[in-house]
Amino acid sequence: MNRRHFLRTAALAVAAFAGRAVAAPLAAAEKFFKEPPWRRKKPYWGYAVDVAKCIGCGRCVDACKTENDVPREPFYFRTWVERYVLRRTGEVSVDSPNGGLDGYPAPREPESIAQSFFVPKLCGHCENSPCEQVCPVGASFKTVDGVVLVDRKYCIGCRYCIQACPYGCRYFHPELQVADKCTLCYHRITKGLQPACVENCPTGARMFGDLSDPESALTKFRETERIQTLKPHMGTEPKLVYKGLHKEVR
Amino acid sequence: MKDIRHLLHVAAAFVVVIIGFLIARHLVVPKSFGRIGHYRADAVDEIKALPLRYAGEQACAPCHRAQAKAKASSRHKGIRCESCHGALQAHAEAPSSLKPAKPKEGEMRAFCARCHEKNLSRPAKFPQVDPREHNPGVACSQCHPPHQPK
Repeated sequence: MNRRHFLRTAALAVAAFAGRAVAAPLAAAEKFFKEPPWRRKKPYWGYAVDVAKCIGCGRCVDACKTENDVPREPFYFRTWVERYVLRRTGEVSVDSPNGGLDGYPAPREPESIAQSFFVPKLCGHCENSPCEQVCPVGASFKTVDGVVLVDRKYCIGCRYCIQACPYGCRYFHPELQVADKCTLCYHRITKGLQPACVENCPTGARMFGDLSDPESALTKFRETERIQTLKPHMGTEPKLVYKGLHKEVR
Repeated sequence: MKDIRHLLHVAAAFVVVIIGFLIARHLVVPKSFGRIGHYRADAVDEIKALPLRYAGEQACAPCHRAQAKAKASSRHKGIRCESCHGALQAHAEAPSSLKPAKPKEGEMRAFCARCHEKNLSRPAKFPQVDPREHNPGVACSQCHPPHQPK
């Protein structure tokens, strides 16, 4: 091999690799814009919360526990409601007695309160879900219709996913000894019913629907309202969006 | 020649280990694993088959027409029947098996207050009263029929 031959081969190899390095991200970007993740499958489930409509009655928390046999003790929740109290001093406090299951007493020292509101929380069924990525056995997964689920027979109970969720949406089921989380009531939505929390919300603060349908109420809501997700900097891309979120909400 | 026999021994050991691994893998990995993605496809069907507890609004109206009609034009129209009457899939399947829950007269004030008790944290536009001042001791439904509240 002479020098000329070596240089030519090396240049060709570099060109080939450079071409590949540019082509793959370009193709991925093109695919993303032509066919965004939420348009890929029909149906593709999503969820929205209108914070200004939540009255903190806790019917959703009760309905979720009833529908999904979630243990009744505090600390086991697939969905819960938080109350934010913003004082005039700038102090922010959050409480969620029993997840909001029993409702909320009026906040103390009302004269010092600048603002107070309720924020329902549940799994965002993230597009890039950290819980699914860290599962060592493939027991956490995303279905083709976009719902993040746990395989109870395959989960080894290592709790890694519980640590990984930045939203605190998973808990360790004390009887089954597996990780447990919101399924968007997968057994209901696949039969054409609403999730139990949406079904039981008296004010319509919770909304569930099909993101792949451009005419669905949820798609319209996402297109017409100013919406936000929680912790967008984490890059998890939750399919749960909020309208009217205060900047203090985490 | 002796060297090649050494190699053959190692190769045989490798073959045994690889075949053993493949057999163990076949026995241990569930049949449906990997059919859709890196998970057990049967788990999706198992979760789909979980029992229902709430029947959903559309199950009530065919029998309870009067209540559904009254509610449809009232301010409570957005509230689904089971929000107040409890989970009733069992009642929808066999109406006589389970009687829907109904707040008793004595418990009604606490029941209605869950949503309507004055609370600074609720949206200001939402109708709220202070139950200690607002006609104490009287059942809410005497003035405000729950299916057509005024």
